[in-house]
Amino acid sequence: MGRYLLRRLVESAVTLVLATVVVFAGVRALPGDPARTLAGEEADPVAIAAIRRRYGFDQPLPVQYYRYLENLAQGEMGRSLRTGLPVTDTIRDALPVTVQLAVFSMVVAVLIGVGAGVIAAVRRRSAAEWGANTIALLGLSIPNFWLGLMAILVFAIAFPVLPASGFVSVFENPVESFRHLLMPALVLGSGLAAVVMRQTRSAMLESLSADYVRTARAKGLSNAQVVLSHALRNSLIVVITIVGLQLGALISGAVVTEQIFVLPGFGKLTIDAVFTRDYPMIQGVVLVTAAAYIAINLLVDLLYSVIDPRIRVGGAAL
Amino acid sequence: MTAALETLPPPTTVAAPASWRRALRRVLRNPLSAGGLVVVVVTLAAAALADLLAPYPYDLTNFDATLQPPSLAHWFGTDELGRDQLSRVLHGLRVSVAVGVLSVGLSLLIGVPLGLLAGFYRLLDPVISRLTDTLLAFPFLVLAVGLAAILGPSLTTATIALGIGGVPLIIRVARSETLRLRELDFVAAAVADGAGDLQLMRRHILPNAVNALLVQATVSVPAAIIGEAVLSFLGLGVRPPIPSLGVMIASAQPLFRDGPWLAVIPGLAIVLLTLALNLFGDGLRDALDPRESR
Repeated sequence: MGRYLLRRLVESAVTLVLATVVVFAGVRALPGDPARTLAGEEADPVAIAAIRRRYGFDQPLPVQYYRYLENLAQGEMGRSLRTGLPVTDTIRDALPVTVQLAVFSMVVAVLIGVGAGVIAAVRRRSAAEWGANTIALLGLSIPNFWLGLMAILVFAIAFPVLPASGFVSVFENPVESFRHLLMPALVLGSGLAAVVMRQTRSAMLESLSADYVRTARAKGLSNAQVVLSHALRNSLIVVITIVGLQLGALISGAVVTEQIFVLPGFGKLTIDAVFTRDYPMIQGVVLVTAAAYIAINLLVDLLYSVIDPRIRVGGAAL
Repeated sequence: MTAALETLPPPTTVAAPASWRRALRRVLRNPLSAGGLVVVVVTLAAAALADLLAPYPYDLTNFDATLQPPSLAHWFGTDELGRDQLSRVLHGLRVSVAVGVLSVGLSLLIGVPLGLLAGFYRLLDPVISRLTDTLLAFPFLVLAVGLAAILGPSLTTATIALGIGGVPLIIRVARSETLRLRELDFVAAAVADGAGDLQLMRRHILPNAVNALLVQATVSVPAAIIGEAVLSFLGLGVRPPIPSLGVMIASAQPLFRDGPWLAVIPGLAIVLLTLALNLFGDGLRDALDPRESR
């Protein structure tokens, strides 16, 4: 276990360093001179040269990269070109919105996905299985942003029961927070629910035909006991992995969902930064996203290896 | 040994046309995947023949008939400039299909050689796999948005961004297939027959990895179509007046109350196309790999 942990930690660290290289190089590949952008259109060459010196743009790229890493290590990501506020602070303000949305979406996805997956596996060749499969396929085929617009059309315009936009923190007013996040979470969770449903169904079918389930039935346990405490419990390992692997998709989806429901989160910050060519902000949000994704993948891997020791052995053989 | 080798069948096991015919028969036997295939073919034809089928030019404005709901004259209604929505949806489908197919083509073009190399040479594997992990650390849309920021929004940008975003998955599939095939007897036989590395990869491994890659591609195309719609919706992909389905939905947003059909119909077109592709993809996967079917 110790060796596996160390190996995964080193791999994640290397990926994170490579991610900083990609972000650093990517921002420098953006069209236009960053010093000129920082100085403004009207600035004279002296001012531009001063900015170039101040931000180290006149240094060779490896030196600039080293400085960038040095600043990053101190939590310093520069200031937003648009607002003048520190990038770190802005990201810290936006993160809770996205985290609340993502957690809510995940809960929705797991509840719907696992429920439908179990029904589809237990009631094979029935209307219930057909219905669950159809909903899963629709979940995979309907673009998030369109589903969001349709939800607004129905639940905010035609039958105004839910707010179409805005955010209330769960720590301020849980009821209003629930009302504001319900539609975005259902929309964002729908795609993930479809994936979870398919994987749960497949894992359940495998579990239900395993010997230990036959033994449980032979012991005289009820069908519900067999399904819930034996088959489902073992199938949940797959669900944990899938939820972890789908996190990237969830973050991607959050970018659009936040745009549609006007939630002041990380995704909206990303899009606004791209449109205003706010380079320090783009650099910050992309790097934080990558770091979070790498960290969560590492956690899921470790969690999975604790639950299922075969993974460690398989991982070491690769 | 030589005599034994001479009695062996030729080491190439390229998917024979007969097996493809069998796969197609299996796809057609399943009503859902057959339905998917029919919708895909009809949509592709409609997109290809958009110029002939569209009742009006897609950019023809008519200020006497603005924001008309669906009618006999305009099956899908008209927008705020009086442009016929059916004509725009047909042309939009063409853009969606083109971006979907071209971006997946780009992913395959970059991903397959890298995956083959990673699977074939143990020395290159850690390098390529680490690069793949790095790319995967950027969620698909964040990567696409970043690339769109670098390249500037356009149809080409959307295609490149979605194509590069899809590379890591293709590398993974090509790599794992190569790792599996490399150990099989027919490859060992080809090595004994004196085949070089390039010949092994090109003539023996790649043709046998085609099935898995094809299945991955059928899953990737609908994802890329949705990706294009999302990028265009956000203003980072196709720019107006080119009628992409995502652009149509984005420009319908302010007219939500007066012309809901402007957002509903292009969205339904995307859903129909991606649903059909997913149904066909599922059927194809089951037909090519019966172990997967349950």
